[in-house]
Amino acid sequence: MAIKILSVDDSRTIRLIVGKTFRPYDVQIIEAANGEEGLVKAAQEKPDLIILDVTMPVMDGVTMLTKLKEDPNLKAIPVIMLTAESGRENVLQIARLGVRDYLVKPFKEDQLIEKAGRIVTLEKKVAA
Amino acid sequence: MNQTVQLPAVCEFMSRHLADVFDTMLSLKAGLVAPTDLPHYEERVTGAVGFAGPTVTGAVYLHLSAPFAKVMATTMLGLAPEELSGEAEVNDVVGEATNMLTGGLKSWLCDCGYDCAVSTPAIIRGASFVIEPTMEVEREWLVFECGAERVVVEIHIKLN
Repeated sequence: MAIKILSVDDSRTIRLIVGKTFRPYDVQIIEAANGEEGLVKAAQEKPDLIILDVTMPVMDGVTMLTKLKEDPNLKAIPVIMLTAESGRENVLQIARLGVRDYLVKPFKEDQLIEKAGRIVTLEKKVAA
Repeated sequence: MNQTVQLPAVCEFMSRHLADVFDTMLSLKAGLVAPTDLPHYEERVTGAVGFAGPTVTGAVYLHLSAPFAKVMATTMLGLAPEELSGEAEVNDVVGEATNMLTGGLKSWLCDCGYDCAVSTPAIIRGASFVIEPTMEVEREWLVFECGAERVVVEIHIKLN
């Protein structure tokens, strides 16, 4: 069964890049454009991994992560945070939130695969 | 405690950071060239992201030719040119690239003691326009050679 990854980012570009990154793998990508949508999709789809942007309108990644960790049904879902800001304070704040890992934009696709692969088992798609 | 930051240091950071963003996201080498060689684009796509905090305000503008903006979009998204749904997709990519540039600058400024937040990206399209800084705002252009293309980063900054 395909691994489910929820990509939460207000940038369609980043969601497309995440989709492209996992295309060779047996992964189903679910998308949400902000934290509010992300919480709904997380509850509906129970993804194996969430890739979560920090800065978003409506509900940002930090608020979504806080709410996720408060929900007994969702708190075990591992989260990789994506951030465009690599400053010390930002990284420390993210680390304190209980994320499994984080990635600073710009990122190489290989870096995302490596970090995701440490959390879920990624299997290459079998050619038809 | 603020370190004293001046425009040349900002430009030096941005030169390195743009090269890093282009290398990482586009696998393209971008090298700084003399700013006297400001390119003229027949059609220009400009990404704009502002930043503001108690002791620093400004904006970063990424100027690209429209054809190069399209190349950037197809490369970043892994699509063939005919698969692009239109200008909106190109705009989103240019906005995201500008966001990465400004996000990096914001982090660097914060680490220097100049706390600030960034705006959401905006896109300007046109043939010939000039962005004028307001009073007391310093401006610098950084011109990069990227293959046969010229890419310009325009920085407006006011440090208090």
